[in-house]
Amino acid sequence: MDLIWYLIVSALIFCIGAGGVLTRRNPLVVLLCLELMLNAANLALVAFARAHGDMGGQIFALMVMVVAACEVAVGLGLVVAIYRRRLPIDVDELRELQG
Amino acid sequence: MTGLLAQATTKGPPINWEALSPFIALVAGGCIVLLVGLARSAFIRRQVVPVLTLLTLGATAGLGVWQWDINEGIVANAMVVDNLTLALTMIFVAGGIAAVFLSWRSIASAEAGEGEYYALMLMSILGMLVLVAANDLVVLFIGFELLSIPLYVLCATHMRREQSLESGLKYLIIGSVGSATLLYGLAMLYGAAGGTNYGDIAAVAAEMADDTLFMVGIGLVLAGLAFKASVAPFHQWTPDVYEGAPTPVTGFMAVATKAAAFGVIIRLFVGPLIDATTTWAPAFATLAVITIIVGNVGALGQSSLKRMLAYSSVAQAGYMIAGVVVTTQLGIAATVFYLAIYVVMNLAAFAVITARERETGLGDDISSLYGLGRDRPFLAWPMTIAMLALAGFPVTAGFFGKIYLINAAVNNGYGWLGVVIVVGSAISLAYYLRVVAAVWMREAPAASTSLSAVPIMAGGSPEGDEAAYAAGREPGADVGRVVSEDFGEPSIITSGPRISQPEVIFVAVFCALVTIAFGVYPEPLMDVARDAGEALQSLR
Repeated sequence: MDLIWYLIVSALIFCIGAGGVLTRRNPLVVLLCLELMLNAANLALVAFARAHGDMGGQIFALMVMVVAACEVAVGLGLVVAIYRRRLPIDVDELRELQG
Repeated sequence: MTGLLAQATTKGPPINWEALSPFIALVAGGCIVLLVGLARSAFIRRQVVPVLTLLTLGATAGLGVWQWDINEGIVANAMVVDNLTLALTMIFVAGGIAAVFLSWRSIASAEAGEGEYYALMLMSILGMLVLVAANDLVVLFIGFELLSIPLYVLCATHMRREQSLESGLKYLIIGSVGSATLLYGLAMLYGAAGGTNYGDIAAVAAEMADDTLFMVGIGLVLAGLAFKASVAPFHQWTPDVYEGAPTPVTGFMAVATKAAAFGVIIRLFVGPLIDATTTWAPAFATLAVITIIVGNVGALGQSSLKRMLAYSSVAQAGYMIAGVVVTTQLGIAATVFYLAIYVVMNLAAFAVITARERETGLGDDISSLYGLGRDRPFLAWPMTIAMLALAGFPVTAGFFGKIYLINAAVNNGYGWLGVVIVVGSAISLAYYLRVVAAVWMREAPAASTSLSAVPIMAGGSPEGDEAAYAAGREPGADVGRVVSEDFGEPSIITSGPRISQPEVIFVAVFCALVTIAFGVYPEPLMDVARDAGEALQSLR
C-alpha cells in the first residue's frame, strides 16, 4: 500500500484528537484525545520508518509511548487531586483563573 | 567468555563521560535529593534537602565551566555539548538556584514533600539541558517532555489552593497539545529526511525547502516550540498558569523554560534548518511582531503582578525572536545575552513578589507593593531596578540587551523588526512604570492586612497560609484559637509585618546588583554570549 494512505489516516486521527481537545469538556476525554494526537504521530513515524527502511522512526515511536504514559499518569493524578478538592470536573468550569 | 565480554564492550557507541558529566550530576543529585527527602526529621527535609539541591546545581555549573570550549557530539552524536549548550546550562542553573532560595520556606514545597519538589525541579533542569544539547529528533522530544512533565506537577504543588491545581491541569493539557503538535512536526521532518539525526535533516534541508511534507513539518515544529516559548498566538496559557502556580515555581518557569525553548529554537532552526531559512524566517518574523504587540498590550490592564509579568514575558519572547530570525552569530549572541539578563531581571521581581506575598496576605496584587518605598528599601529598589531593566532603561542590563538585539536585527536587513522592538518597549513603559509608581508614590493602606489578622483566614485563604507558614506556624493549624491572642492590637504597621526571610531578600538584592553591574559593564557577559554564538560555525 502507498505511504500516502498511512499519512492520511494519521492526519485524520491527529485532527480527531485536536478537535476533541478543543471541544470536549471532561478532562478524562481530553486526556484520551491527547493520546490520539500522540499516537497519530506514532503511526506516521512507523509508516515513514517502513518507507525509508530506517529503524530510527520505530525507536522514536517506542519512546513516544513511554512519554505518553508518563503524561497520562500526571494528568490522571491531577484529575484525582482536583476531584478530592471537589472542584468541578469540567474544564469549562475551571474559571478561577480567567484568561 | 572473556572474549564475548570484550566483544560486547566494543558494541556500544563511544561515550565522552566528561562532556556528559553535567547531565550525570543532575541525575545523581535528583536521586539523592529524592531519597533524602524521605527522612522523618523535619530539619533534614526542610534544610538539608534544599542545601543538597544547591550543591547539585553548583556541581552542574562547575562541571559545565570545566567542559567549556569542548564543542563535540557525544553519545553517538545524539547530543552536542558546545559553548551554546554550556552557556544555557549556566542560565538554567542560575534560575534553579534562585528558585531553590525562593522555595526554601514556601508552603508549596512543604505540601508536596520537599524531596519530591526539589527532585522534580532538578529533573526539569535536566530536561532543559537535554533539550538544548539535542542533536537528534528523538533526544529533542525526550528533553522536551522531561522539561515539561515535572513542571506540570510543580505548578500544582500548592495543593490546598484551587488555582494551583487548576493551573497544573491547564498547563498539562495545553502543554501536551503543544508537544503533540511538535511531535507530529518532528515525524514529518523525519519522513522528509529519512533519519532522526540533525545531520540527516541538514543534508536535505536545501533541496527540500519547498517540499510540502518538509514545510508542514517545519510549521508544526514551530507551533509546538512556540507554545513552550509562549509566543503569541500560542501564549494564552501563560497568564493563567503563571498566576496560579506557586510564585517560586512561576519564577523558575518564567526564566528557565523560556531559555530552554529559545535554546532549542536556535539549535534546530539556526542549525539543520538553516538552509530552509526562506521557508521559516518570514513566519518567525511575523510571529515576533504579533507577540510584541499582544504581550505589551495584554500587560497594560493587569492588576495581578504575576499576570503582568506573564504578558511581559510574552513580549520579551517577541524581542528575542528578532535575534533568531537574523540567523547570524551576532544574533545568537544577542539572544543568549538577552536570555541571561532576562533571568536576573525577572528573578529580582519574582523574589520581591514572593516576599510581599508572605508578608501582606494580598497575594500578588499590585496593592501589595504600596508603601514599599518608604520603609523597605531592600525590596523597593530591586523591584524598581527590575522594572526599569525590563523596560530597557540605560544603566541597567536591559538596555544593552535591547541594543544588541536591535543591532543584530539591523545588521542583517531586519531593521523594521528593530523599529517594532522600540515601539513595543515604549508601550511597555506604561505598565512597568505603574509598578514603580506603586512602590514609591502610593501610601500603604492604613489598616493593612497584617499578620495579626492572618490566622483568621488561614485555611481559607492561600495567601494567608503562605504568610502564616513563613512565620513559622503550621498552616491552618491555629484556625480555631484566633481571637484571644492575636486579634487585639490595632495594626499600625503600614506595609505588613516583617518576616525574617533573608534568602528571598538576598535573591532580590543580588539579582538587582547583577542587573546594574551588567548595565554598566556588559563586556564579560557579552564575551560568554559571543562564545556561545560562535559554537554555531555554519553561520557568519
